[in-house]
Amino acid sequence: MINLPVIVGVGTTNIASEHQGHTVRDLMAESVLSCLADAGLPNLDAVEHGLTSYESDHFNLQMTLGAILQDTIGLIPKPNVRIEGGGATGALALRTAWAHIQSGLCDSILVYGCEKNGRGVTSQTANQLFALSADVDWEMMIGGTYTGFYAAMMKAHMATYGTTEEQFAHVAVRNRRNAQFNPIAQKPMNITLDDVMVSRPIAEPYKLLDCSLLSDGAACILLATEKWARDHSPKFANRPIVYFSGTGCGTDTMRLGDRYPDITNFRAKQVASQQAYAMANITIPIDQIDVAELYDSYSGVEIQAVEDLGFVEQGNGGYAIADGQFDLDGQLPVNTSGGLLGRGAPVGATGILQAIEIVQQLWEEVDPRRQVQNARRGLTDTHAGIASISVVNIFERQD
Amino acid sequence: MSEKVTKLIDIQTTSSTLQDDDIWSAFRQIERITFELTQSYKYSLGKYSRFFIQLENQKFLATRCESCGKVYAPPRPLCPKCLQVTGWVELSGEGTVKTYSVLHFSPGTSVDVNALETPYILAYVQLDGADTLFPHLVKGEFVDIHIGLRVKVAYTTTPVSHPIHLMYFVPLEVK
Repeated sequence: MINLPVIVGVGTTNIASEHQGHTVRDLMAESVLSCLADAGLPNLDAVEHGLTSYESDHFNLQMTLGAILQDTIGLIPKPNVRIEGGGATGALALRTAWAHIQSGLCDSILVYGCEKNGRGVTSQTANQLFALSADVDWEMMIGGTYTGFYAAMMKAHMATYGTTEEQFAHVAVRNRRNAQFNPIAQKPMNITLDDVMVSRPIAEPYKLLDCSLLSDGAACILLATEKWARDHSPKFANRPIVYFSGTGCGTDTMRLGDRYPDITNFRAKQVASQQAYAMANITIPIDQIDVAELYDSYSGVEIQAVEDLGFVEQGNGGYAIADGQFDLDGQLPVNTSGGLLGRGAPVGATGILQAIEIVQQLWEEVDPRRQVQNARRGLTDTHAGIASISVVNIFERQD
Repeated sequence: MSEKVTKLIDIQTTSSTLQDDDIWSAFRQIERITFELTQSYKYSLGKYSRFFIQLENQKFLATRCESCGKVYAPPRPLCPKCLQVTGWVELSGEGTVKTYSVLHFSPGTSVDVNALETPYILAYVQLDGADTLFPHLVKGEFVDIHIGLRVKVAYTTTPVSHPIHLMYFVPLEVK
């Protein structure tokens, strides 16, 4: 494919439980400056298109952030589109940018995402706002929370496949351990399985340390055609080329109960990954993918993900994870960044942060303690709700 | 510190998110205030309304697609599989817990939920005659919650703010 997008540069802020000194606009500006420096560009004059990635007008206390952020970073009067897809927002934004480049609509596009999900509001208010993305009349009003919906899915997974709390505690320990080697991570921790098992219950079977973080942060990626990158980025020739080589998207019912009897796994994720694999010529994912960032909104969700992405058979995820297959020294290291559990998850930036981790792994630019050796192909897995939208993106290095 | 701003939280000095750069040195002083928004909506329950209205008569309704025969509880006015308009059917209100979680943290999503004491049980119940699972709370003293538990709809007698609270589930047989 002639117009297959390449990654020209990446930038982020630190991810934190609260950036008290920053509005979303301040955060966005810092990550864009960091991206420009990474790409070796003096300014954004040559960039043709902007794409804003954010989920919530409520959290950010600002509507129409698409155009507003375009103004903040000086991309006006160039075209802009704002993408929203719940938790999958950042990955859906990248997928949309992929289509903009592939179609020839533009040769370069800055994808920038941010969110202030941190302590600007109480965790009770945060849960109320997030519950608005569930079914308001049938789920939110009875006291349902996303933690509860995910927990009910995991109860069904445990009952069907014998998955155990200790198996998903392994994810909670490993991802926070990986975060210790990531300087932008929000919550690096050196903890044990016991620490997870005795943390206080939130929604059974999930306990405090099984749950991911509320975060403030921003991230951006500059995508372009290979020709544009060569013509404009002085750093491009010094790095291995990383192509954005595949993308897939699937959807599912908003309410878990409407999926019955298939309530243990994420069908949308199966659909999304199959599309992305076909596009990137992947037939045996566990052998052909070298590093992956998975959507670990709760520790057990990573178990479901390794099954739905076809890394292992459905029902075997817990055993494979507890066996260390997805640890830094395992067959397919996942969430080397620390994931949502350790690095953090400012929603509109999350999918972009996942992609940045994969791209930097392929560039061999991460801390050596989390660098995967000889990584040539990486995957991001991102979803909204209980995977009512799921996006899988694939990045590939060519020397 | 300013005394003229009534909603002032604090004024502080902050650093940029990337610790090693100093380009923002003229922008380190930060003021924070409390910002409050309260909204109220005239909110329609739309084509679901008959379900909620009939809860007041202690009737539990679902919808059925005449084309594929699927029975939806919660009701769907449009069968998404056949794109056919469904019809109302009444169910007994008895069913089986297919999965659940015990919640130890309440989001306080409504006045009624604010009154909820934790822990509480969120259950997905397959009502007899329905093809989908209906999410609601299982209440009662000493509920032995488990997958497979038989439950029935109970109807609320006290006033509620959202009509979904006109019902909840209780174990079918109390030991």
